[in-house]
Amino acid sequence: MAMSMEAAFQALIDARRDEIVILSAGNASEMWWGLTQDRDSVFYLEASMSLAPMFGAGIAMAVPQRDVWVLNGDGALVMNPGTLMVERQMDLPNLKHLVVSNRAYGSTFDASLPNAAHNDYPAMARALGVQRAAQFETVQDLVGGLEMLRAPGHGLFVLEVEALGRKIPAPPIDGPEMKFRFGRWMERACGVRIFG
Amino acid sequence: MSPDLSPEIVEEVARAGVTLVASLPDGWIADLIGRFDADARFRHVPVNREESAIGLCSGAFMAGTSALALMGASGFLTCVYALTKINYTYQIPLPILITLRGDVGDKAKYHVSNGLYLRPIIAAMAMPFVEVQSRTDLPAIGRAIRHSRTIARPVVIGLPRHVLKGAD
Repeated sequence: MAMSMEAAFQALIDARRDEIVILSAGNASEMWWGLTQDRDSVFYLEASMSLAPMFGAGIAMAVPQRDVWVLNGDGALVMNPGTLMVERQMDLPNLKHLVVSNRAYGSTFDASLPNAAHNDYPAMARALGVQRAAQFETVQDLVGGLEMLRAPGHGLFVLEVEALGRKIPAPPIDGPEMKFRFGRWMERACGVRIFG
Repeated sequence: MSPDLSPEIVEEVARAGVTLVASLPDGWIADLIGRFDADARFRHVPVNREESAIGLCSGAFMAGTSALALMGASGFLTCVYALTKINYTYQIPLPILITLRGDVGDKAKYHVSNGLYLRPIIAAMAMPFVEVQSRTDLPAIGRAIRHSRTIARPVVIGLPRHVLKGAD
């Protein structure tokens, strides 16, 4: 069973409090942008495949008072699953890795993902010592799991979503604009000094 | 045999304000990594592959943390995509300490390719590159770290074998 990606993202957007949001390339960035038009309090890591969890970990280390939600495609996770080991080792209680699992390379017209039918991402995480690993297949599951998501502790949470089946617009934000808008927001919201 | 300059390299990095070091080893930097790991001024994160260091350090910058990536030459060559996509697209600074594997003095035949292609690839990416060939070059490490912040791009600092392991 899988939910629509739009419904899953809308549920997270509705539930969001003050979490920092990092989005991986492709459908994740595009869907969040389409639903929020947010140019400041999220980082669309469109120019990278597979490194959003590490990027989010770098932020989470410095702002332990804020949860960091990393929405990472399952295609990105398949490209670099070893990041789960680094995440587990860092064990950042405010880092929440959300896998947007559409069982396809969504941003390239739902091209085939290796071993798509058999990949058990929560089991992978548990095998690496990530205790808090869960999979949500309906919006009701996801909403019901928000308490687990918010509880302190690193975790991996899989959103089983339907493949989008269509292209949606990318955030119209150039790289330096993304850096400065998000960075200035981080300075204001989290009290960190980035640009001086 | 000339002394290993690893302790002084660590001091230069600390003086430049770096507090996060992400590394993946190469035989020449095992001792250097151990020194960063044991030094309370740094948080050291061993990573699964070199490009994960690029992602981690780049994210750290976006939260105000000064970071350094430490890796071998071969690992650096696997990072072309991550560096050009993340650090060039978003203009995120990142100092990268690498070994100069394949240079004169490296007897490992499997590193010949690094000797042939490392510098041309760094040049092709228009990435500032400094070499530390002796103790007198050590202040270049701090200058390179600060320069990376100034230009909002990665800067590569190359370390040859004799600086890390002592001369034969």
